[in-house]
Amino acid sequence: METNSRSIAESQHPLVFMRFRPAWAYIDGIREFGRFFCETTFGTPELAERARVIIQETLENAVKYSSTSAEAELELLIKSDGNTIEFQVSSLPDAAHAQALLSELSGIHAQDPEAAYLAAFQRASDEPWASARLGIARMRYEGGVELSVKEEASGRIRVTATGKL
Amino acid sequence: MSMNTIAVPKLDSVNVELVDPDTVKLKGTITKKEPAQDLDAFFKAVHREAVASRTPQVNVDVSELTFVNSSDIRLFVDWATWVKNESTHRYKLRFLTSRHITWQKTSFTALKSLMDGILSFDSSD
Repeated sequence: METNSRSIAESQHPLVFMRFRPAWAYIDGIREFGRFFCETTFGTPELAERARVIIQETLENAVKYSSTSAEAELELLIKSDGNTIEFQVSSLPDAAHAQALLSELSGIHAQDPEAAYLAAFQRASDEPWASARLGIARMRYEGGVELSVKEEASGRIRVTATGKL
Repeated sequence: MSMNTIAVPKLDSVNVELVDPDTVKLKGTITKKEPAQDLDAFFKAVHREAVASRTPQVNVDVSELTFVNSSDIRLFVDWATWVKNESTHRYKLRFLTSRHITWQKTSFTALKSLMDGILSFDSSD
């Protein structure tokens, strides 16, 4: 899957904007909404399947590391400029976990997506007790996106997944 | 192989069935927060029984398992690893997949490349 895509301008209005409490119980419903939205809007079942993977894995990471404070709501945005699709998830990680989240996302471009996915399977097999970073590798390979992460002034972290439509 | 004595877990989003003496069928989705312990225990029990009864092949029908999160994809990695590391009897682990379900194509292709000779997968459609 090609992932050579440019980010969409910040001024571009989102097609979807959702804000919700960081609860695991919401992920299934939001993932399936994202699948339905992408299939209905863009008419491509292949993109709908990619959206499922990206939304599931980004939200899982955000919920796992989220602070429990009242400001810790998650935001999901879906944007498109006609050529590119972008999924953004903004979260407020617990201070103790912010570094873990950043380090999980660091160095993700060192390998091409397929090689990184195979390497993640190898890690999962060799070290069953350790994090294999399978979710991140899967988003890049199966989801066909590149990932970037931005720390914002409020302490929030924004993960952006960008790929071709 | 006699899997009749193995307790089949009852789960919310996924239906687990023993459809014939050496076939497990999974239908639905698996998106648990931690790799599903009940499914892990079930797969381990099937593995132990297959080794004990020297079963040549265990079939896992995932053709209607429409979505699995990455934490739970590890359940299949673990199962294949148990077979790979088995010293007394190494059986074949065969997955029956659907070519219309993307996660199955990408994940089982990756897993097969690491577990060639142990794991195989075929499409049911």
